[in-house]
Amino acid sequence: MTNMERWRLGPQDASYPEALRRSPRPPRVLHGMGDTTLLAGPGLAIVGSRKATPYGLQCAKRFARIAVGAGLVVVSGAAIGCDLAALQSAIDAGGKGIAVLGCGPDIDYPRRAAHLLSTLRTQGAVVAEADFGVPPLRWAFPERNRIIAALSCAVLVVEAALPSGTFSTADHALAAGRDVAAVPGSIFSPTSAGTNRLLRDGAIPITCDEDMVDMLAGWSASSDVSASSLSPASERRGRGAPHLSMCDPLSPEAHRAITAHPLRPEGLASFLGIPLTRALRILGELETCGLTSQGADGSYAAT
Amino acid sequence: MQAVVGSSTLVGVEAVGVEVQADVSNGLPSFTIVGLADTAVQEARDRVRSALRASGFDFPSRRVLVNLAPAPLKKRGTGFDLAIAASILLATEQIPRGCLEGARVVGELALDGTVRSIPGLLAHAVDAGLAGVRLIGPKAGTDAWVLASDADIRMLEHIRELASGGRQPERQPRDCIADPRVTRHAVDLCDVFGHEMPKRALELSAAGAHNLLMHGPPGSGKSLLARALCGVLPRTTEQERVESATVHSVAGLDERPLLAGGRPFRAPHHSCSTAGLVGGGSPLRPGEASLAHNGVLFLDEMNEFSPSSLQALRQPLEDKSITLVRADGSVTLPAAFVLVGAINPCPCGFLGDERHPCRCSEGQISKHRARIGGPLLDRFDLNVRVDRIDPDLLLSLRSAGECSDEYRFRAEAARDFAMRSRGELHIGLCGDDLLRACRLSGQAAKHLSDTATRTGMSGRGVTRVMRVARTIADLDASDVVRAEHVLESLAFRTASNV
Repeated sequence: MTNMERWRLGPQDASYPEALRRSPRPPRVLHGMGDTTLLAGPGLAIVGSRKATPYGLQCAKRFARIAVGAGLVVVSGAAIGCDLAALQSAIDAGGKGIAVLGCGPDIDYPRRAAHLLSTLRTQGAVVAEADFGVPPLRWAFPERNRIIAALSCAVLVVEAALPSGTFSTADHALAAGRDVAAVPGSIFSPTSAGTNRLLRDGAIPITCDEDMVDMLAGWSASSDVSASSLSPASERRGRGAPHLSMCDPLSPEAHRAITAHPLRPEGLASFLGIPLTRALRILGELETCGLTSQGADGSYAAT
Repeated sequence: MQAVVGSSTLVGVEAVGVEVQADVSNGLPSFTIVGLADTAVQEARDRVRSALRASGFDFPSRRVLVNLAPAPLKKRGTGFDLAIAASILLATEQIPRGCLEGARVVGELALDGTVRSIPGLLAHAVDAGLAGVRLIGPKAGTDAWVLASDADIRMLEHIRELASGGRQPERQPRDCIADPRVTRHAVDLCDVFGHEMPKRALELSAAGAHNLLMHGPPGSGKSLLARALCGVLPRTTEQERVESATVHSVAGLDERPLLAGGRPFRAPHHSCSTAGLVGGGSPLRPGEASLAHNGVLFLDEMNEFSPSSLQALRQPLEDKSITLVRADGSVTLPAAFVLVGAINPCPCGFLGDERHPCRCSEGQISKHRARIGGPLLDRFDLNVRVDRIDPDLLLSLRSAGECSDEYRFRAEAARDFAMRSRGELHIGLCGDDLLRACRLSGQAAKHLSDTATRTGMSGRGVTRVMRVARTIADLDASDVVRAEHVLESLAFRTASNV
């Protein structure tokens, strides 16, 4: 089947993915646009919260890159936040992605995903249980999560608060016998409370690139994959350490502090024991070098 | 017989001299007032008649015609009562000619002849002082108007005193105009715990007259901080005091706290109408923006204000005045204020709060943000996040922090420095003028352009950052805007800076 054509697959069709057929409650009809061969996988689902922090987005992008490097297809919903970041990162890394929607595969929902979805319809795949033209309905989204889980070998949750919609994806994954992995976050960060809970309840911890590579090793299409070959070159140059040209001697410590946990200027000032003005100047310099960005709530997180 | 008495009337918040001409002639008894007099002025006929009779004067049983000149100027209010009565008394020679020579007479009359106060006495006094004429007015009222102007003033309690020309008021020194407790700023910063970042923003706002937008959850202290700004802004000049007091006087409000040096703080509710904000009505009443002249206009929950009301503020923010175009001409009201806005980050208010989760969807958050249009957001040079203080911290903080006076002292010093080194304040400057005033160092310019490129800042965004950096440099007594000034300025820029 070729690219912009629309297809409807039933369990009797050859292209209907085996993994889906064997999952609990396979969809009777799978509608889609794009490359049907991608459905066969191997795929890694990367999901996370919509209200993603820079940390969650970074994780989604990073691990999507690693998955692509290992020859896997990135599977996700098209929700704003971690989902979109993962899919976009997969495309940018020259890989393939599958978006599973809660509306017709030809509908652009959410609107912010429009550009990405149109790319996926030609270079990847966009599928849905809903028929073409069906608008997004609330109850359809938890249902589409089971398809995300079924199309993948494992589900990685990069960031989730409590409660979170990603839990339904994790539940479906367990029901379908898929592994669930999660990226830990700061115990003070509400946006990682969900992922930390998953870890407590037995999800596979992904604490570094090697963890991801190890997990994917079983399904990786290409052998001879190592973490170092997957990390972008710029990061290999002294991971995230500020440039030596920073004028304030406390800049590296400040950077470490906000990497651990996003801080507001007052918080950084009291942590370092310096006046607020100095903290603002340090943060300003980190910002001009692209090492931090200001969040909507006035906190600074490492980028 | 004819007689002429001077008086004055309000146009906007200024007074202008008018003439009251009386013509008492033979004919059927009548009493007519001409000169585009409104209802209140027309009612003066009954008041004047009763007042004169009650005071032992005669009301002529002849044809009485009173003209309020200049005739095309619309006359409103009850302030002409006394002048009309005086002109009739002069025309019928019941009081000696010359006792009101060259003076302006204002005041309302009660039916028993008592002279009553009218709004805007300070404006009348200021104009009389400028014109170099005597002002004869009511004894009632707060008397602050008497002390505030340098005009030659006489006061009357009863119309019987007209012949004597009124009593000279006791001139007290300006300092005891108001009870010090009245002028004590409502909030002193040493009573505000924590909030170091917002306090720095207040300091910057006061030093450079920057408009300030505060973001934060409910109950975080945004209103408190806004009130505190009045105490951080530099001390008022004599002229500023009289200006603000005049606006308050015209609005019928107590002028004393303003004459004593306090800056006005106005915080209209978000249900305030556009007319309530910028002024309007007949007779013209100054709006909140004018009442905040030389002070602070605080818009709490700014996104709840109607878009049209917020639009109406664009003119005063640009021109420092409000021009109302009406059928009988346009009126300009002063409105040079520092705008402080407060918004919740999302509909429930708790986005970004560390303890309270936010329950809003992305769509709700963007719609919430979009309520304040770009053009108004552009006016805020300073943006700051105000968070709720951890209760434990509140109870444990022992050091009180600096008082408002100390912040104000630094803000005044910064302005003095700017005047000494550049001869002007950079408030509202942009383009080449701002660039020249800034004198950016090489490193500062580099930081600015790097960040601008990286974050996609617009030209306006860069201008705002430069203005704030110039203020920071002034506070640092530095002629040149250095890198560290620009770096600090970045922390206060508008989040959605596109």
